[in-house]
Amino acid sequence: MVIDDSSAMRLILGRIMRGLGFDVVEAPNGAEAIARLESGAMPEIALVDWNMPVMDGLAFVNAVRKEERWRQITLMMVTTESEQSQIVRALAAGAHEYVIKPFTPDAIADKLALLGVLAY
Amino acid sequence: MTYIPSADDLEVITREVWTSFLDGDPAGLLVSGDDVAVERVTGCVHLSGAYTGSIMLSCSGSAARDAAAALFSMQPGDVTQNEIIDAIGELANMVGGNVKSMLPGPSVLSLPAVVQGQLAVPGAHVVREVHLTWRNEPLAVSLWQQAAQAA
Repeated sequence: MVIDDSSAMRLILGRIMRGLGFDVVEAPNGAEAIARLESGAMPEIALVDWNMPVMDGLAFVNAVRKEERWRQITLMMVTTESEQSQIVRALAAGAHEYVIKPFTPDAIADKLALLGVLAY
Repeated sequence: MTYIPSADDLEVITREVWTSFLDGDPAGLLVSGDDVAVERVTGCVHLSGAYTGSIMLSCSGSAARDAAAALFSMQPGDVTQNEIIDAIGELANMVGGNVKSMLPGPSVLSLPAVVQGQLAVPGAHVVREVHLTWRNEPLAVSLWQQAAQAA
């Protein structure tokens, strides 16, 4: 699942993920992503932007981590938010990894391999 | 002493964003002394907190269309106004987020805003600016600071 308010970024991340063999669903903010989960989507991994309207990425991570039924979803922040304190907040909330924009496709693949959701 | 990113820092960050998502060519952006054309598109993100100000990315309408086309993998003639707004907003967001990481924190980054034309922030002034060209079109990145914080 790719969650980003920028349709260009969803396109770019979606292309990278499809290239790595994933099926991709998209959401433009955390609230729509939660709605997709509520309706039955169960992604192996969610790539989550931080700054989004309606529900931001940190609120999404908190909401997902509160639910036992979504505990198996791996959460990776992909964001311009690069302050150390913010990274710590996201990881403490339950995000597994953190990628700072701009990124390369290889950087995404490397993080996914580290997380064990991509076989290298 | 507070470190304020230099014009060179703004250039390096912009070049990294452009290289990653638009050209793949670090030499695609050239330093220029020229101001941005009259007909321009401006993307802006605001910072509030330990540093209060804004980061703006301004370019010609033609450069904005080309940037959107590159991000969306489309022909420039097929790009819609919404796609230009989305692209310039995300580029401003990426440049702004990386500039923010060099400024005193903590501070909060706003969602990007995009306008057709020039943008000025009341009570703020430009503290750093870099003028570039991309595909022979002007592009500028500027860092603004609220007057109350200025030295």
